[in-house]
Amino acid sequence: MKHFLNIFIGLFLIVIQTTVMPHIPIFERFYDLLTPLVLYLSIFRPVRETTVIIFIFGFLMDNISGGPFGLYLTVYFWLFLSVRWAITFLHVGDSFLLPFVVAVGVLMENLIFIGADAMFEQNLQISQIMINTVVVQVLWAIFTGPFFLMLFNYSHRRWDRWTKKIFAQKS
Amino acid sequence: MFSKKMVMIVGVIAMMAVNIILLSVFNRRYISYYRPGRIAVSVIAPFQKASSKSIRFLRDIWYHYFFLVHVAEENDTLKKTLDKSFEKNIRYKEIQLSNSRLRSLLDFKKTMTDPVLSAEVIGTDPSPWFKTVLIDKGKEDGVRRGMAVVVPKGIAGQITEVSSHYSKVLLIIDPNSAVDALVQNDRSRGIIKGDAAGALIFKYVLRKHDISVGDIVVSSGLDGVFPKGLVLGQVSDVFKPKAGIFQEVTVRPYVDFEKLEEVLVVLNRKKPIEPSK
Repeated sequence: MKHFLNIFIGLFLIVIQTTVMPHIPIFERFYDLLTPLVLYLSIFRPVRETTVIIFIFGFLMDNISGGPFGLYLTVYFWLFLSVRWAITFLHVGDSFLLPFVVAVGVLMENLIFIGADAMFEQNLQISQIMINTVVVQVLWAIFTGPFFLMLFNYSHRRWDRWTKKIFAQKS
Repeated sequence: MFSKKMVMIVGVIAMMAVNIILLSVFNRRYISYYRPGRIAVSVIAPFQKASSKSIRFLRDIWYHYFFLVHVAEENDTLKKTLDKSFEKNIRYKEIQLSNSRLRSLLDFKKTMTDPVLSAEVIGTDPSPWFKTVLIDKGKEDGVRRGMAVVVPKGIAGQITEVSSHYSKVLLIIDPNSAVDALVQNDRSRGIIKGDAAGALIFKYVLRKHDISVGDIVVSSGLDGVFPKGLVLGQVSDVFKPKAGIFQEVTVRPYVDFEKLEEVLVVLNRKKPIEPSK
């Protein structure tokens, strides 16, 4: 049941990211909206639930993006591993750390993209535009990332309450 | 024998190595969709289509009914007329030049009369690092990998992946795109490549050619993908380094890729690349 909510949220975010945001100039260099979802699931949800979603959306994103196949799967997988490792010694769910968690996640995603580009593209040069893109995305992540995490948290709590109520009525 | 930390470090390094190898293996940028990939696109594309149509519908209502109805309509018509005139102008100039050089082998008529299929852009690439769009026409509409995608103002890109009802177009501003091109006036040849800034780089143009800012760059047709004579852009910067045999030429594309909504897929080009099985 839980997967339905995550799949719905993920699909909604992809559609917004690929159809609505390109029409709004201010969001021209917004970060990947699935990054906060992956981070939220990695921090707050069970491993099994998270890995299923990572596989589904990594696969979907790889198929609609122009990058090499497996790039988004790689990004989400390493984000998940890094967060799971970080929560062993850091309380990343802390409201003070949340903006930085999303920002670091976005930075990591961009570094993997640039790394992959460097791997497949000869004579890749780091241009000012590339640096600007990364900086703008990280800044967006610092200021908006925590809101996404709070929104996901709120949706999951509502969903849990709703499903519990339905199952209680049935039994 | 080994500490837990050591095992973990070795494990992470091994995973990274496996990941890089897998990425290299699966780097199927030019490999057509396999079945699960087609399903994935078929899952997401209808939502994108519905969302794009809704946005266009709302925007059209805003522009045409709430905001200067007549002016907007007149503007649309004028823009379309201007696009057509622009395309005609470039085409006539090409024909004139080729006639003057008595190159009878050039079959412009055939090139320009290739059948085309109109398609709507339903989604853009989720990443700012890659420049692709999804269109609402696929294999069942006759679209094949390798077909050229054009708009009235020039070349937009090339079909790189096809599913039943949708296709992915690699735009010419993507760093992985390459178009064989020539300068319209002096016929100097080179390869047009995309760059991260959304401009075009005209590569491998010999130093001896005298190219100036404002020159128009058109497709040469020699790559077997794009019809000859379609406009790519205008030279915006020329730099001749002291060493080397090539000059560095930057081209500003005529097509506004931020506002790409409808495109034409050129069907029945000589040899569209067959999808791999």
